[in-house]
Amino acid sequence: MTRDEVSQRVKKVTARELNLNAANIKDSDQFSVELGADSLKSIELVAAFEEEFNVSVNEEEALQVQSIGAAIDFFAKLLNK
Amino acid sequence: MKTYELQDIPQPNLLEEMFPYSLPPLIQFEGKIKEEIDGKIVEFDPNEVKTRDIHITDTTFRDGQQARPPYTKEQMVKLFEMLSRLGGPNGVIRQSEFFLYTKNDRETIDACRALNVKFPEITGWIRANKGDFRLVKEMGLKETGMLTSSSDYHIFHKQNQTRKQAMDQYVEVVEAAFEAGVRPRCHLEDVTRADLPGFVFPFVQKLERLSEQVPEHMKVKIRLCDTMGFGLSYPNAKEPRSIPKMIWRLRNECGIPSERLEWHGHNDFHKVHINGASAWIYGLNALNGTLFGFGERCGNPPLEGAIIEYVALKGSLNGVSLPVITELAEYYQKVIGTQLAPNYPFVGKDFNTTRAGIHAGGLRRFEQIYNIFDTTALLNRPPHVAITDKSGTDGIALWVNDFLGLKGDDRLTVMKVAKIQRWVMDQYEKGGRMSSITDQELEEQVKINLPEYYSKYRKN
Repeated sequence: MTRDEVSQRVKKVTARELNLNAANIKDSDQFSVELGADSLKSIELVAAFEEEFNVSVNEEEALQVQSIGAAIDFFAKLLNK
Repeated sequence: MKTYELQDIPQPNLLEEMFPYSLPPLIQFEGKIKEEIDGKIVEFDPNEVKTRDIHITDTTFRDGQQARPPYTKEQMVKLFEMLSRLGGPNGVIRQSEFFLYTKNDRETIDACRALNVKFPEITGWIRANKGDFRLVKEMGLKETGMLTSSSDYHIFHKQNQTRKQAMDQYVEVVEAAFEAGVRPRCHLEDVTRADLPGFVFPFVQKLERLSEQVPEHMKVKIRLCDTMGFGLSYPNAKEPRSIPKMIWRLRNECGIPSERLEWHGHNDFHKVHINGASAWIYGLNALNGTLFGFGERCGNPPLEGAIIEYVALKGSLNGVSLPVITELAEYYQKVIGTQLAPNYPFVGKDFNTTRAGIHAGGLRRFEQIYNIFDTTALLNRPPHVAITDKSGTDGIALWVNDFLGLKGDDRLTVMKVAKIQRWVMDQYEKGGRMSSITDQELEEQVKINLPEYYSKYRKN
């Protein structure tokens, strides 16, 4: 899966989970700061990414991901292993 | 001023020589304890407690029963049998004390004797009355406690006696005990409010002179009864409330050895357990207690607390079977019908239950962070989490993994339980709920949100 495809799907899931417009989400956006995800919402987001990409992620590693760009990198790397 | 430098070490120092986890945290001492008595410094060696024959005596069926509805004979026999297993074959619970006044009391003693256990030994309790002594002889007991009130509150205002009349009466009953071949145990009632040099010490020295006439196994035992919970373990507290000073004078000025001294406390000022443990450390051998601390007014030293303290002081179990504490608690709650407070140490429903999410997170990562010792192995009580809006997703993950019996890499992550956590939060935020989530509700949520795990791992 290309990085662009991963990016599109990460933003789509983020927009759905956080009630945002996907077109307004930037790679530099931080989940907790610009996008307003609290700790439970962050966990729900990771769970939604797991469903979207049909993978199971390491909890500690996944919860350290802070921004949209970092999430795209994280899943791109995971999916292209 | 001494300067301390940060030691940034690669591996944690968990201080396991003090916190072994396989045992309750060990109580360790450095050096001697100093106390000022009559203007001079005297020393106590707290490490002596490791080699002295400290033990527990039980008064669940005497003082413990004075403050609650009577136990049935069957209940007392069952509790006695469990006390025997709890204390083990080395007699850490050495004796148990019974009333002798009713037919039911005497039949219970016979039924307990029929169990044919070595420990606890059965002893009696009577008022200091020669007539009552007949009951001891009839039951064939080797030892009996007798009420020998020691404060002027009791002597003057309860017994309407002078000190000499009281002492003469007590001595008469002690002599009668010797004549009958029964060891007397004098219960110095209200001793922490008594005139020690004016009554207690002369009385004890008189008892010692009487004891010179009898063999070692018959010599008078002294029970120090802190009837109103006035005793203080603090260094240099004034007499008569000072436990260290009282024990020191009895041992050094009255000649009573540790093995004939016993502490009986009350919890009126929340000091009952620490006073009992301090009495052990300051030099007497027997700590008198009751199961779960039931006793007059605010109760007596909790026997199960004393057992944990014993293990912590000795650094080994010495035959004690700690899981019996859990059996006893279940028996009280399910059979006798006496409820124990949820936060009661070692046995309460919540004693090792955490509710805060941040604690649950710690517990999930490394059990020892928020569990006092290996409560699964030692008490048959694994640590638990109770779910509220404060438990967090960590708490839910801990509960679900425990419920499904998942360990190690099989454990579900917080992501897997996020939907359950959302349901929990909605209960409070949208539903205005004020109570904890029940286990049954959580099980239902596992069925709904994790059906594949429920069908594969669910506990029967």
